[in-house]
Amino acid sequence: MNTFFIALLFIGIGGLQTLITYRFYSVMKTVAVTAIITGCALGTYDAVMRIFQHSDPLVFSYQWLQIFSFSLKLDTVSAFFLVPVFAICAVAALYSYQYMHDAKRSAATANNYFFYSLLIISMALVVCADNLITFALAWEIMSISSFFLVIYDVHKKATRDAGYIYFIFTQAGALFIFAGFGFIYSQTGSFSFDAIATIPEYTKLVAFILILIGCGSKAGIMPLHIWLPYAHPAAPSHVSAVMSGVMIKMGIYGIVRFYLLMEPTSVLFGQIVISLGILSGILGVVYAIGKQDLKKMLAYSSVENIGIILLGIGVGMLGAASGNKTMAAFGFAGGLLHVFNHAIFKSLLFMGAGSVIHQTHTGASNELGGLMKTMPVTGRTMLIGSVSISGLPPFNGFISEFLIFYGAIHGLSLHGASFVFSALAVIALAVIGALAAAAFTKLIGVVFLGEPRSDKAANASEAGFFMGAALSILAASCLIIGVWPDYFVQAAFKASQAIPLVADFAPDSFMPIMTNIARTAALFLLFFVAVVLLRKILYAGKEITRSGTWGCGFTQPTVRMQYTATSYADSMVAFFRPFIQVQKKYSGIDKIFPGKTTYSSEIHDTSEIGLNRFIVRPIVYALSKLRWIQHGNIQLYIGYIVLTIVVMLIFI
Amino acid sequence: MDFTFSLASFLSFLVAVALAPLFMGVILKVKAFFAGKQGPPWLIKYYTLIKLLRKGSVYSTSTTFVFKLGPIVSFVTALMLLLFFPFAGLPPVLSFHGDVVILFYLLGLGRFFTVLAALDTASPFEGMGAAREVFFSALAEATIFVIIALFFRLSGSLSFAEYFTGVHAVNLWSESAALIFLVLIALFIVLLTENSRVPVDDPATHLELTMIHEVMILDHSGPDLALIEMGAFFKMLFYSSFVSCLLFPFHTGTPLFNVIIFYIIMTLVYATVGLIESITARYKMDMVPNFILTSFALVFFAIILTMEFVQ
Repeated sequence: MNTFFIALLFIGIGGLQTLITYRFYSVMKTVAVTAIITGCALGTYDAVMRIFQHSDPLVFSYQWLQIFSFSLKLDTVSAFFLVPVFAICAVAALYSYQYMHDAKRSAATANNYFFYSLLIISMALVVCADNLITFALAWEIMSISSFFLVIYDVHKKATRDAGYIYFIFTQAGALFIFAGFGFIYSQTGSFSFDAIATIPEYTKLVAFILILIGCGSKAGIMPLHIWLPYAHPAAPSHVSAVMSGVMIKMGIYGIVRFYLLMEPTSVLFGQIVISLGILSGILGVVYAIGKQDLKKMLAYSSVENIGIILLGIGVGMLGAASGNKTMAAFGFAGGLLHVFNHAIFKSLLFMGAGSVIHQTHTGASNELGGLMKTMPVTGRTMLIGSVSISGLPPFNGFISEFLIFYGAIHGLSLHGASFVFSALAVIALAVIGALAAAAFTKLIGVVFLGEPRSDKAANASEAGFFMGAALSILAASCLIIGVWPDYFVQAAFKASQAIPLVADFAPDSFMPIMTNIARTAALFLLFFVAVVLLRKILYAGKEITRSGTWGCGFTQPTVRMQYTATSYADSMVAFFRPFIQVQKKYSGIDKIFPGKTTYSSEIHDTSEIGLNRFIVRPIVYALSKLRWIQHGNIQLYIGYIVLTIVVMLIFI
Repeated sequence: MDFTFSLASFLSFLVAVALAPLFMGVILKVKAFFAGKQGPPWLIKYYTLIKLLRKGSVYSTSTTFVFKLGPIVSFVTALMLLLFFPFAGLPPVLSFHGDVVILFYLLGLGRFFTVLAALDTASPFEGMGAAREVFFSALAEATIFVIIALFFRLSGSLSFAEYFTGVHAVNLWSESAALIFLVLIALFIVLLTENSRVPVDDPATHLELTMIHEVMILDHSGPDLALIEMGAFFKMLFYSSFVSCLLFPFHTGTPLFNVIIFYIIMTLVYATVGLIESITARYKMDMVPNFILTSFALVFFAIILTMEFVQ
């Protein structure tokens, strides 16, 4: 039997056994975590081997009831997406071992592990699916199992609401994907992936846009991202780490896979994807700056990173359509590598945020502060994650952003609209990077540095050993990929060779520049260590005093005077005002001896307001007029079904 | 990576490092001249550095190791910039196709840790400075990357060495001079922004509320402050060299002559900064974004012009 299926079997057993052993809490947890990690480790090993050894793709198919043919194909692109699926889920499972600590809710925990393993298996099947039916089936299992993971804290109203919003988005998105599939089926007459390339160009565009909307709502493309800031804070932290780090990338996989299957020649595909990338990237990061709730902020940062990935893939598509090899190869490879990198640092940040919430019982950054002293492991790993996600060297985020940048800048030699889109991609990447640095200095500065802003933060202590271990593994990966990127970059380029244009793109074309980048990063680290030592010499034998922060002449500073997340973000948010709505409430000073004043501000998502006003309310209004159809008589309902089928038969 | 182990490259790097503090003196002298004063001695910045290096430090009880990382990272990143820059048209110590990108990102890393060090002190003033710094630099970043894109369009190069020493060198005397003129103005605005000079920021003001960069380093002292200061000198030297290399093609044939002309032009650039500081006041904070966006508009216009007129 193949390693891939053995891996899935282990993960499946790990999940299923919880349903029997849930009465023995520790046993259940230990067995589940061990089995899932073993399975994931096997799966990761198998996927890595598949990328680097030129073995033929694994093909598997099974016919059921003569109608449903279940078929899988594991090629390089699938294998590339399988690595983060298995690797991140393993680390998140390790983290969950201590994060899930409520023995009184053992049945709920058992459910959580069951759906967790189901989510891993379904994600693995999504990236291996080799026909429309298998893809749709795996996609639905993935959506539903993640829905059950989100509503773990079902007794809280906020969680139920979040689950509801997520469910609507995921099902509406699936409808678009199925519409796209239906459209393809109407042209090819088969569920097979092979025939998709033969459909006419304009139908490709329609099908692609339908799939783009469907997959985009899963990936969190602006303006279909609304479920992210609801679902991520509601879900347990290892689940939000997996959902944000890995599951939303399944949307990206869908876009990439169907693009590859369609083999389109129009530049329009690339232009659409780049535009969406710019929109998601810039607005995502602006909202991330504005939000002060830890997990909401990270959710918006995921929207931003999906934007960066789309920029990379869009640049690649534009390059492929205009015959520019460098642009196509670097754009795609950068986009794919960013999928992998983002999986690492976003799961790190979500789990780190989870540790903070676990220890302080609050996720509001304006109530936190000074945690670097009390939670050193979480603080240091979150610092590394923040530098990485801001795309700064010598960490991994820079490597993938550099590849995208390099691809986009080579698009500048094109003419007309392609030139404009390449230039916009370059500018957008630069602005996103700089604003991401603003967002994550805010996160680290407000939550981990300074003085605690409340008792909850002051009395915090470090999270458990396994949680810290999970964070440390991910943080170390960020640095390793940043300084030794060779294998990771090669893997990304191997996956991007699925595009016919760059199938023969040799390592000589990209390895020299990556080596230079890696050497510069290493040189930086060398200088850094040298200056650290120099500083030690400079301070040798000198007097070091500790005292309070200089208050600029003010002698009675309190912790409440610190800059908060809200004040830090204020001027930047105001700059983007038409796209971001800030509601401020200030009681004002109206008496000679002012009484107690209050101030609060809230940031509203413009796309949420727009969607609510222009789509949700009209639909609800129209449907409320049709309420009389719902009367509860079963026989009439059956009548409806018969009538519908008859009417549809007339049209066929 | 091209590693030029020539004596000339190393010497030009060392000279640049050694002269960085001296040029800051030029600004002070020009300002003193306009104020009708004699001003501090030319070597004032060297004296300051030596004084700081001799001292110990006071650390706030609020701070952590991040506070100490700030000076180190900002110093190292600024120093690395100079390794890659072709002073006076001489080949730089290190260079490769694509180095501009990683260098500007390294500057971003330096800023990241400076900002964190400021937030580490729990001081409201330093938080204020940090918020302004990240906001204004994000706007300047857009200008810088449009310039990189424009230079790629003009010369197909992606490294400082290629910009100024290659066959398609970009400068005010090349065939795309009109575009370079726009770039020069934009780059000078970026220079003023990134180095916290008037009219964006006033390093000499006495009120912490009105500062950007100076307020962020209020709590640093001793050798830590010396590292920050040196990093700032290097950064200023880098941007001024960038402007100088655009102003004049250093192709006269005799390297020594090139070096002399280069440092004369450098002095003029620093003097211009001093001149602006003497005759204008700092903008109101909410005017600063408009000022920086002007530079973006200029270079964006330049890159759009390449679509039809310059190909």
